[in-house]
Amino acid sequence: MSGIEWGGLMFVVLLLLLALRVHIGVAMLLTGTMGYSFVAGWDPLMSFFKNAAFARYSTYDLSVVPLFLLMGQFATNGGLSKALFQAGNAMIGHWRGGMAMAAVTSCAGFGAICGSSLATAATMGQVALPELKAHNYSERLSAAVIAAGGTLGILIPPSVPLVIYAIITEQNIAKMFLAAFVPGIIAAVGYMVVIGIIARVSPEDAPRGVRFSWAQRLTALGETWPVLLIFVVVIGGIYGGFFTPTEAASIGTVATAFVAWKSGGLRGEGLLKCLYGAAAGTGMIFLILLGADILNVFLALTQVNTELAKWVVSMDLSPLAVLFTIIAIYLVLGCVMDSLSMLLLTIPIFFPIIMGIDLWGMDPESKAIWFGILALMVVEIGLITPPVGMNVFIISSMTKDVPMKDIFRYIMPFLASDLLRILLIVFVPSVVLFVLKL
Amino acid sequence: MAEAVHVISTRQYQGLGWVLDRLCKLLAILSGLTLLAMAFMSLRSIIGRAFFDAPLMGDFELVQFLCAGAVAMSLPYTHWISGHVIVDFFTAHAPARLNAVLDTLAHLLMAFFAGLISWRIWVGLVDLQGSFDASMLLEIPTWWAYVPLVPSFALLSFTALYRAFEKMKEVQS
Repeated sequence: MSGIEWGGLMFVVLLLLLALRVHIGVAMLLTGTMGYSFVAGWDPLMSFFKNAAFARYSTYDLSVVPLFLLMGQFATNGGLSKALFQAGNAMIGHWRGGMAMAAVTSCAGFGAICGSSLATAATMGQVALPELKAHNYSERLSAAVIAAGGTLGILIPPSVPLVIYAIITEQNIAKMFLAAFVPGIIAAVGYMVVIGIIARVSPEDAPRGVRFSWAQRLTALGETWPVLLIFVVVIGGIYGGFFTPTEAASIGTVATAFVAWKSGGLRGEGLLKCLYGAAAGTGMIFLILLGADILNVFLALTQVNTELAKWVVSMDLSPLAVLFTIIAIYLVLGCVMDSLSMLLLTIPIFFPIIMGIDLWGMDPESKAIWFGILALMVVEIGLITPPVGMNVFIISSMTKDVPMKDIFRYIMPFLASDLLRILLIVFVPSVVLFVLKL
Repeated sequence: MAEAVHVISTRQYQGLGWVLDRLCKLLAILSGLTLLAMAFMSLRSIIGRAFFDAPLMGDFELVQFLCAGAVAMSLPYTHWISGHVIVDFFTAHAPARLNAVLDTLAHLLMAFFAGLISWRIWVGLVDLQGSFDASMLLEIPTWWAYVPLVPSFALLSFTALYRAFEKMKEVQS
């Protein structure tokens, strides 16, 4: 059998294992190991395993991932989410649907210090859901808003999946973060527009809140200064080249730990919760990374991904047709898989294809960055679509009276705004890229 | 779900389960504390570099060594709380018994690979001891950094075996 055939066969085996409830990381390890030993033999495989785990886990650039996770845990326990929500509410709570919009802005703000969507949705849900309920917002709308708003956690830097995309495609993390910023803001604005429309169509879902005085507003905004400071130091520091991403994440971790300690969030079991939470997130990601590692070594041995890319390019298809096929595959996969596994599994295959086709005449670096943001947005949609929208699951466990069906129904308009944004970014890449040229 | 707001499991274990529970939690705490130490060390290096013209020597390699340990030590806990991701979409409506059989097999596979990796890292460690390989600036022997990885993967293997055993009992009942 040729390398290509092995590659194809192993991919089928991998999908089968995934469907049969094998842990994603282990399924990748198993297929990678099988493929590797058939192609290269048993002995090279055994000596590969001597150093593979250490080599992967000691990658300097990757050390930013567990640090961002720990930082997110401290931010969650630091009471910052409450300050963010209250500030948003003081500013725009009196608009139609304003309090729900404030939930969106606070999700965006929390996303600026937390790199995970689930954590953002869960944290903001705890703070905002009771408040929204107390102000007569319908629970199905509130739940949908927070589930959708949670996806901002990953779009707005820092973002764990973006770091991993940057590492596997050898892009500059600082540039990736900067490029994600404007699309993240567009996403937040899009969600707010959706809420505005819902509030006009069915006012009973989203009543007006009270208007705050400017003095109250300034006090509320003042409470959010740690978020702003941490964001500016971490992201500004990375972009300005003052620190490496790992150093910036270290500063962010210590700073959020300090905030959490000051607010009493580390008392009792608080610190333990943070440490356990960071460990759980780290373990989940790095088992998959180890699996992806061996799978990629096998792919590189068989050249199956580069051959596939060559084949696609040689077919001379319309580049947009190729791109939309990839997006469609992501949308389907997103219904059953989590975003990070999806990226790790597909980027080695799709990335060479994207780099091989001509899209709006972009240079390779711009194209790599633009595709990263686009892929991230598309895979994130899986978090709020049935059947396994994790964000919706988390929020629905907090709002027990609302059937999941109702939440998904109210998610639809937000999904529409996601799709519109994806089209915008496909057709106008400069939305992503212009900040890099400033 | 693992990365969302974390809830400490209150499930009580007996015998071997109790031991594994303690060990997984211990390693998870060590993992988090290592990360915290790494963060403070980077901070110390930045302050030294910015204000005293004295960066911490070898901070780069210390981060690498500490990170490898911290990451490995998080793996058993993640498995213990079922934090490693699976795709359950296709089997969501399958009979519970079939799913228990599949889960048993999945845990056994996890146990096999974790055990294999633990053994190979041990062999790699012994090899490195013979070769006197060391980090560039601080000249820390590289095999030191392998030390936390061996028990971490071994513990991952044991937790997976325990879970496989648990699922097996579920199949029989």
